[in-house]
Order: sequence, then structure tokens, then C-alpha cells
Amino acid sequence: MVAPILLAALGGAICSRVGLFNVGLEGFVLVGAFSAIVGNHFSGNVYLAVLIAIAVTMLFSLAFAYISIHLQANVIVVGISFNFLALGLTAFCLKAIFHVKGAFYDKNMVGLPKWNIPIVQDIPVIGGIISGHSPLIYLAFALVLGLQYFLFKSVLGFRLLAVGENPVAAKSIGIKVGRMQYLAVLICGLLCGLAGAQLSLGQVTMFTEGMTAGRGFIALVATMLGQANPLGVMASSLLFGLMDAFSIRLQGFSLPTHFTQMLPYLVTLLAMLFFRKSSYMADAQKANGSSR
Amino acid sequence: MLNWKGNIGALLQPLIAVFIGLLGGAIAIVLIGGSISDTYAQMWKGAFGNFYFLTNTLTRATPLILVGLGVSIAFRAGFFNMGSEGQMILGALTSAMIALYFPGPPVFKLFAALLGGIAVGGIWSAFAGWLDARFKMNLIVTTLLLNYIAALFAGYLVAYPLKDKTGSAALAQTMMVDKSIWLPKLFQGMSMHAGFIIAIVFAVLLFLFIKYSAAGYEIRMLGYNPLFAAYGGVNRGKLMLASMFASGGFAGLAGAVEVLGMQYRYTDGMITNPGFAWSGIMATLLSGAHPLGTTVAAVLLAALQTGGMGVERNTSIPLEISSVIQSLLILFVTAKFSYTLWKRRKGGGSGAASS
Repeated sequence: MVAPILLAALGGAICSRVGLFNVGLEGFVLVGAFSAIVGNHFSGNVYLAVLIAIAVTMLFSLAFAYISIHLQANVIVVGISFNFLALGLTAFCLKAIFHVKGAFYDKNMVGLPKWNIPIVQDIPVIGGIISGHSPLIYLAFALVLGLQYFLFKSVLGFRLLAVGENPVAAKSIGIKVGRMQYLAVLICGLLCGLAGAQLSLGQVTMFTEGMTAGRGFIALVATMLGQANPLGVMASSLLFGLMDAFSIRLQGFSLPTHFTQMLPYLVTLLAMLFFRKSSYMADAQKANGSSR
Repeated sequence: MLNWKGNIGALLQPLIAVFIGLLGGAIAIVLIGGSISDTYAQMWKGAFGNFYFLTNTLTRATPLILVGLGVSIAFRAGFFNMGSEGQMILGALTSAMIALYFPGPPVFKLFAALLGGIAVGGIWSAFAGWLDARFKMNLIVTTLLLNYIAALFAGYLVAYPLKDKTGSAALAQTMMVDKSIWLPKLFQGMSMHAGFIIAIVFAVLLFLFIKYSAAGYEIRMLGYNPLFAAYGGVNRGKLMLASMFASGGFAGLAGAVEVLGMQYRYTDGMITNPGFAWSGIMATLLSGAHPLGTTVAAVLLAALQTGGMGVERNTSIPLEISSVIQSLLILFVTAKFSYTLWKRRKGGGSGAASS
């Protein structure tokens, strides 16, 4: 549950760092999930499938970047329409490629392996939590640190940040603003491709229409909540995961599931109330003429 | 005369988009080995082929128009109301509850149900506006979150306290609303109901309001240039609350109309599954938030959807061809094709485009 949201939210964070508030995460992840299944079906290799998912999603994100950066369309609007595009395209291709409707499942397909970490898996409680996940989950957490380093310690990361902070100033010192934004959207595509692969190849090896089921939007919220900061995004994604686990646990107390499922959203609303000093994002949005 | 140019541009752009959408659809059809002319003929037939299909299309367009009008108000004022879904759900639920449990003569109950839907949808939306105005919480995110909360809350109500236990009881839904409170059908045996007329009337009223009233001018000003509006004495917070209320109110009305004219009860997922709210948002985007244009765009999108069903019934092409066309439409509209081209031709536009 956590990994797809975390990966997509990291992508969203990179995008919002350059002043593009990416509402299209849901669509990106869906495309990733679908192309991972297609890749798996035709290549028969899980890792190749993940690579295909990444490649296709990056291509998809390139279109997003072209329209929102090059053609100067409103990012929010483009994001919304990309969600539709993904939903329509994947459902259409599902029918066109596999001749099925709704869901595709093939028992010959092998999903992502589960990695058991030798010593850790024997520790009673922690072992069950940490060990036995797909490689992408470990990669997701590694990427958090990687991105944290990339954004705040590397030169390229600083340039990305500069573009988000103040595009005009960044331009005046010779940073290619458009190019940086393209880079950010492509990274976002990469991450969302991974998120999609984890979604469709992680727990169950199948694709269903609209299987993202709002996860992209939750990722968007996690981005906001985490202030577009990789570590913060990780914390907020974990919060969602925790709330989700919590809601399953609470069902034992004969509480209607509706209320327990509501918890993550309520908590986010409350959390937004307390952490809302993301003024840089407001500036970035203004600079891009989006939202408000 | 500049206005003329704008009007033609406003009309031309969606037309080009429709053309490109159909072209993209044609490519998709060829790719999976279908016949373009046959598919589009079936699509046309499925949407407008005979009177029955036409009224079906218009019935489907009804909630889209209302939601679209609501979103366009917020859009004009410069806000993105992504919460139409939640507002529509609560509006639908409220009107079903009023129609079921409120005492009074039928006509009174009908109006109370409609107004209740508007009020609750509006309040839900204005709440998000209030969070933004008071606490600076991002409106896009709050409206999105409130969608989920509304859907789950409504789901709870129809699964437990309000559940219809008379029937086979497998579905989470409320009881059927009494026949006396149904919105009248416009034609015998057709699904089209009075909600369509309500939608058209509101579209015209909204057009006149935005174009000619002082408040409409303030809304437009706030959308075009918030700083100028503030300088001109427009109270952003107050206007935001008002426009968000109106925006959610339309979505709530859309939900109410769907309950009272079409389903006669609130069923879990009746708003979410057909994607009414998102299609409504698409209609707004397609028309550039013009009230009358939104109406046309909503009918167009509804036609694509009902036409898609016709395609699926009669050819091997899947229904989803229409969502491919729809999303391409939106994509090319958002890309502001002509606009950028025009800017380039005048020169000096390319510098601004890269920043």
C-alpha cells in the first residue's frame, strides 16, 4: 500500500519543486501499471517489464511536459486531462491488446519476487515488517534518501530548486528553466512508472481498469503534506499506510469501515492545518499562473 | 471588434479540438482493425440516431451541464473546484433524504429536496473555500480530500441507517422516493426529465449573470487579475466563499436532479461510477468556462458516451474509444493550440514561453 503512493508522491514532489503542481499522478501511475503488465506478458521477464513500465510512463510524462511547459497550458488542467487520457487509453488498450474488459489476469505471469533479508527476517515483529517485500519497495525507500541528497546536495538539485523558487532569477543566472522542468517531469514519470509496476506486479499480478483507485490523488496529498521534501513525503506516505493498517484493525471493533477508511483523509486535512508554511509552493504556482 | 475575434477564437478552438479528437479516435480504430466510417456512423446513431437515443443523450448531459456550470463559476473566479464529486454526492443524498422523510405536500417536498441538494452541496464546497480563505489550505487538495470523505459518509449512511431493507437488500441504497415527488418526464416513455430544462435555464441565467451583473464582473475580475481586483475593492475571501457556494450548489443540484429525475433513490456509487462530476469538469474545460459553451460541451461529451455504447453494441470496437476521443479533445483544448501559435506569429512570444 505504501510503496506506490510513496513513489508517486516523490514524483509529485520533484514536480512541485520546479513549480509544476502535477495533478496527473493518478494517470501516470495507471499508465505505469498497465505497461508493466503488457511488458510482463510479452517479455516474460519481470525486470524487463519494470523497465518497460518506466519507459512508457516517461514517454507519457514527456507529453505532459511538452503541453504544460512548451505550450504553456495550465498545469492543473493538463493534469486533469492526463488522468482522463490514461484512464481511457489503458481501458482501450486492454481491450485492443488482451481482448478483455475490466481486468486482465494471466496465471503464467510471474510477479515481482519477494526478497527475504537473511538475518532480519528472523527477528519477531520487525522481521515481518521489514523483510519479504518486492525489490521495488526497498528501492522506494532508497530513492527517498537518494532524492534528498540529489535535491539538497547536488548542483543539479540546486538548479531544480532555484527554478521552483524563482524562475526569473534562475533564468537570469543562465539556468535553462524549461529544461529543468522537463527533467523534473521526466523523473516524475520514472517514479510513477515504478509506482505503477509495484501496483500491478507487486502483490497481485494483474491489471484492472482504474486500478489506481485514487492512489495518485492520495500521493498528491502526501506531496502536499510532506512539503515536497523527500523525507517529509516519506513520513506522510507512511502515515497513510499506518492509517490504512489502522482502519483494517479497527474493523475488528465492529466500527463501520466507512469511517475507518475516512481517517487518512481527515488526518490529512488536520495535518494540512498545522503544516501549511509551504509558501514557496504558492509562489511557484503563482509564477506559473496556475490554481490561484 | 477585439471581442469578435475572441468569440471566433473561442468557437474555433473547440471545433479544431473536436476534429483532432475524432482524428485520434480514427487512428485508434485503425490500429485495432476497425472501420472508421462504420464506427463513427454507429457512434452518431447511438447518440442522435433516433428520438429515443437523442433523449438518452440529453438525459446524460443534464448532470454534466449542471456540474459544468458550477465548476465554471469557480473557474471564472480563478479557483479550481475539484470537489464536484463530493458535492454532487451530498446533494443527491440530501435530496433523497428530504424527499423520503420530510413531511409536507408533494410539490413542496420536491422543491425542498432540490433546494436542500443545492444548500448542502454549496455548504460542502464553501467549507473548502473557507479553509482556503481562513487557513490558506490549498483549495485543490482540500476539495479532493472532501470528495473521499463525502463518498464514504454517504456510503455509510446508505449501508446502515438509511438502507432499503424492503427489497433483496443486496445493494446499499435508500428507499425509493414516492412517485409524487419525481421530476416529471418530458416525453412519455423516454428517460429525459424536467432536470434538463432546469439545467438549460440555469445555463442562460448564469450566462447573463456573469456577463451583465456587477457581481459577475467582480468574479471575472478576481479570476483575471486578483491583485487588480483587490485594488478595486473586491473582497477576495467573501467573493471566494460566495462563488464556491454557488459552484458547489450547482453540483449539489446536479446530484438532486439525478436522484429526483432518474434514479429515484440514492445508491452507493451512483455518482462516482459513471464519473458524472469529472465529465462535468471536462465540459467546463472544453468550453473555457463559458456557461452556454459548457452546455454544448456537456451535450457533446454525453453524446460521445452514449454513442460509445452504440459502438460497443454494434461493432467490435470497445466503448473506451469514446474516452480516448474525449481525453484527446480536452488535451488539445488545454494545449491552447491556436493561442500559442498566434503568440508566436506576433514574435517575442517564444521568450515568454520558455520561462
